[in-house]
This record gives sequence, C-alpha cells and structure tokens, in this order.
Amino acid sequence: MRVLIQLRPGLDLVAAVADPSVVTSASDVADGLPGVVLDRSFTPVAVPRPIPAAPGGDPLSLNQPLIYSMAPDEASVLVRGEIADDEISTRVSLLPASHRDVVGVFADPKIEKTLTCGGDDPVGDWHDVERLLRVADLAAEGLDGSGVALAIADTGINAAHVTKALGRGLTIDKERSWSPSGVTGIPGEFDVDHGSMCAFDALIAAPQASLIDVSVLLSQRSGGSELDGLLSDAIAAYAHLRGVLDAQPAESRALVISNSWGSFSPRWDFPPGHPGNYSDNPAHPFNVIVGSLAQAGADILFAAGNCGRECKDGRCAYPDRPIAGANSHGRVLSIAGVDTDGDRVGYSSQGPGRLTARKPDVCAYTHFSGSRAFGDAEPDSGTSAACPVAAGLVAAIRTQWSSAELPPSQLRTLLRRTADDRGVVGYDYDYGYGVLDVAGIIAALRRRAAKAA
Amino acid sequence: MTSVLITVRLPRDATLESAMRKLELAEDEVDGSYGLVPIDPDEGLYALRVSEETGRRIHAAAGDSTHYPGPYSNPRIEPYGPPS
Repeated sequence: MRVLIQLRPGLDLVAAVADPSVVTSASDVADGLPGVVLDRSFTPVAVPRPIPAAPGGDPLSLNQPLIYSMAPDEASVLVRGEIADDEISTRVSLLPASHRDVVGVFADPKIEKTLTCGGDDPVGDWHDVERLLRVADLAAEGLDGSGVALAIADTGINAAHVTKALGRGLTIDKERSWSPSGVTGIPGEFDVDHGSMCAFDALIAAPQASLIDVSVLLSQRSGGSELDGLLSDAIAAYAHLRGVLDAQPAESRALVISNSWGSFSPRWDFPPGHPGNYSDNPAHPFNVIVGSLAQAGADILFAAGNCGRECKDGRCAYPDRPIAGANSHGRVLSIAGVDTDGDRVGYSSQGPGRLTARKPDVCAYTHFSGSRAFGDAEPDSGTSAACPVAAGLVAAIRTQWSSAELPPSQLRTLLRRTADDRGVVGYDYDYGYGVLDVAGIIAALRRRAAKAA
Repeated sequence: MTSVLITVRLPRDATLESAMRKLELAEDEVDGSYGLVPIDPDEGLYALRVSEETGRRIHAAAGDSTHYPGPYSNPRIEPYGPPS
C-alpha cells in the first residue's frame, strides 16, 4: 500500500525542504524507516502547521480560525513510500515509536480525473481516432478494408451525410443490404441517425470497406418507437447475413458485423432460468445463430452497453451484470469505450457478462467529434461509437487476412493479446484486456505472415 | 410481450408450409411476413414468430421431447447511444 509519511526532522532540514531553491531528496529526510520502501523519485514536500489564530486557542482543533506556519520549528515534511499490504497495520502503529522523526502515516490513495459521461463535450475528434488507430500504418500494410463486407446492423445509413462528414465517398452494397419486413426505405438513404454515426465510425479505419446496410432497428412493431426493434428481426437479419457469408468463396471469406444495440431491460425478457430466456441463455435462437455465424467465419462485434456504474444511461434496468445476451456471447467481441485520452468513459458497461464472464473483451475509442449525426456540437458517443470503430479495424485486418487464413476465434485472441492493458494489471471488468493497439496488431500479423511463408 | 419465437428441426431448404404442417399450426397462428428463418442450417434448426398463446400450445404439445421448441422471448432491442 502506498503511504505518505509525515516527519519532523531537524530544523535545518525542514528549512531546506521548504526553500524551493534548495534541492533535497527523500533519503535526506527519511532514510532507514523500517518496513518502508521509500519512493526516491518523490521530492519531499514541506507542510505548514495549522495553529490557532487567537491566543489560547485549542492547539489540537481544526474547527476554529487558523493560521498556517511554515516556520522550521512548526512545519513538517512529507515523503512517499510503500508498505507491504500484510504489514500495514503493524507498521503504521510502530513507525512513530521506532523512528523519532515520524509524526504520522497516511494513506496515499490513487486519484483519477472525472470520467467522461453522456452529455459531456467531445474529447478530441475523429482525426485523433485516425491517429490513435494508426490508419496510415494500416494503409501502408494494405489494410484499408478493400473488398471486405462490413455490415452495420442499426437504424439504417444515410450515405450522403456520411460522405459529407468524411469528406470522401463510400460504398453501400445495396444488393446485400437488408431491412425487416414492412420497412420500405432504400439502403443508404435512411434518415440521418444512429446508423449513420456507426457507418462513419466504422469507415475511420476501413475507408475502402463495402458497407452492408442492415436496418434492423427500424422494424415497425406495434407499440414501439421509431428507433427500436425486436430481437426476432435481428434473427432474420443474421439469417440473411449467413446467406451473404455462404455466397463468398470459402478461401476468401470476410464479413464483419457491427452491432451497437442491445436489450436494456429484463422487463421484455423471460426471467433467467426460464428455458426461453434471452439474457442468460446460450440456447436462445439469437444466441445460437450468433454462434453459428461466427463459426462459419463472420467477425461479430457488439457494444458492451452504456450501463457503466459511474454514469449509466437512464434506460438501464438490469440490477447488475448489464452485458447481457449476445452482447456477452463467447464468440463475439464485446467492445467497451475509452475517450481519446485512453480513459474509460463512465457509461461503458462493466462485466462480468451474463453468457460469458470475461466481458467486455477490449476497448475502442468513443465520445469524439465525428459524424455530427446528432448535431454539430454532439460527439459520436456511447459504446455505440466504440463498437464500429473496432469493427472498422477488424475489417481493415480482413483486407489481407480472410477468415480461412485467420479464423474469427484466432483474430479475437490476437486482438485481446495485443491490447494495451489498462486499469489493474491483466484482465479487468472495466477495460477488459485493454485498448485495441494497432502497433501490436501489425507486429503480430507480420510475425504470423513470416511463420506462414 | 406481443410475440414469441418457437424453433423446429427440419431438413435443409424447408419451407414455412412444411414447418406449419409439422407443428400443426393454422395460418392465423404464425407471422407469415416473418416466415421460416434458418437459425443453424447445419443443424436443421429454424425459427418462427408466433403469438404467446401459440407458443404455449407448442410447448405443451412437445411433451417430454428433448428439443425445447419454445416459447423463447422476443425482447425489444434499442440503439446503445447516445447515452442519456
């Protein structure tokens, strides 16, 4: 455990520490503290002594008018160190007795900046994401999404808006696009909304990918809003995508599916334990078709969700473990969100997942100024943006690596192993295995190519 | 919940009509616009969308069969963003 140790050494030493023109080190003031590993990189800090402002005041009370004295006979000095976790209580009580200069030992807790939440301003823009994803390096490796089918399962794409926001053209594969029965819009010509944001974000890393517009969230169910659907529509969409995949030559299959949606509430589901339940049941038809499609060679990515403990979406209704159903499937990548500073956004759902405990898998970037699908000042946000950012990267990889050469399961492992670890050391339920790391991915692909040659 | 899903095992390239025959379903018990959706072609597993009442009837008719035909939930799904 990291601690701060307060000492009152000799007057000359206190005066030296308090004088910014004098260089002092931790070992000058606190060498030889038993059981303490001193942090020698931490420059000692002089701390003033609070004393009563009025004569006769209680010298121990902080609840009165005070003045702060830096006089050498009043001030003290702080150094930083570490005490073994299993010795902390003994050492803390014995230190003042065993070393006469020690006057107190205090916890030195980790402090963090406030996490980005929904409604906050964008953190960086999509060119920052382009830089962080090393899109130029990907392009130099021939990884730009050319010839790769990238399905955006969402509210439909408005290609004109995405083209304008990107400043370059895009390809919508209308023939292989799909809509639920009753939806009459034309692929690539839907209203600007969530699906256009996802399309934009997917094209950051895979500018040459061919988009399949799957407007699964536009189904016209009774009693629903315009922008939601039913899981049965997603099943029909996946059956269509299975046909798309099966029509590709087995040796060059490349189909990436980005899903920035989920079920917010157990209210719409049978309870866990019921054989017809979705959230916790790998035998639900949608979870079966997801597994079947991944097994056949598709890369499937799901947003982890926006139910992070620090600032969850108001729609989140699961009392715990909000990464549910296919969003927690073992054969998909569940994508958490970090901002362009690399810090987890506060709304990104934490694991464990309901179908598979180790969810989310990895993090990708979100909450940046990008598509402007929701207005000029509004960021592309939510794990909704992180998921297509990651899907674009997977599509870029698929340019040179078909699912026959690098099966989806091995690609998932590669992305997890190369991820830039954040949070605690190793896997954790906030960041998963870490943030997608393109330099590591390129190096791993080169090693794999060399081995195969 | 206005509709549920049921599943049925049939040979590859099965039709909605063949599924309805096997499950003894009338036309008004099945969502015809949804049709017969292949879940896992290699396993011959298909899904249909039906009313809750029909789902319960299919479950009761299955008896002790090792294949659980449903009903399966058909929950509402929504976009994950922007977070509100």
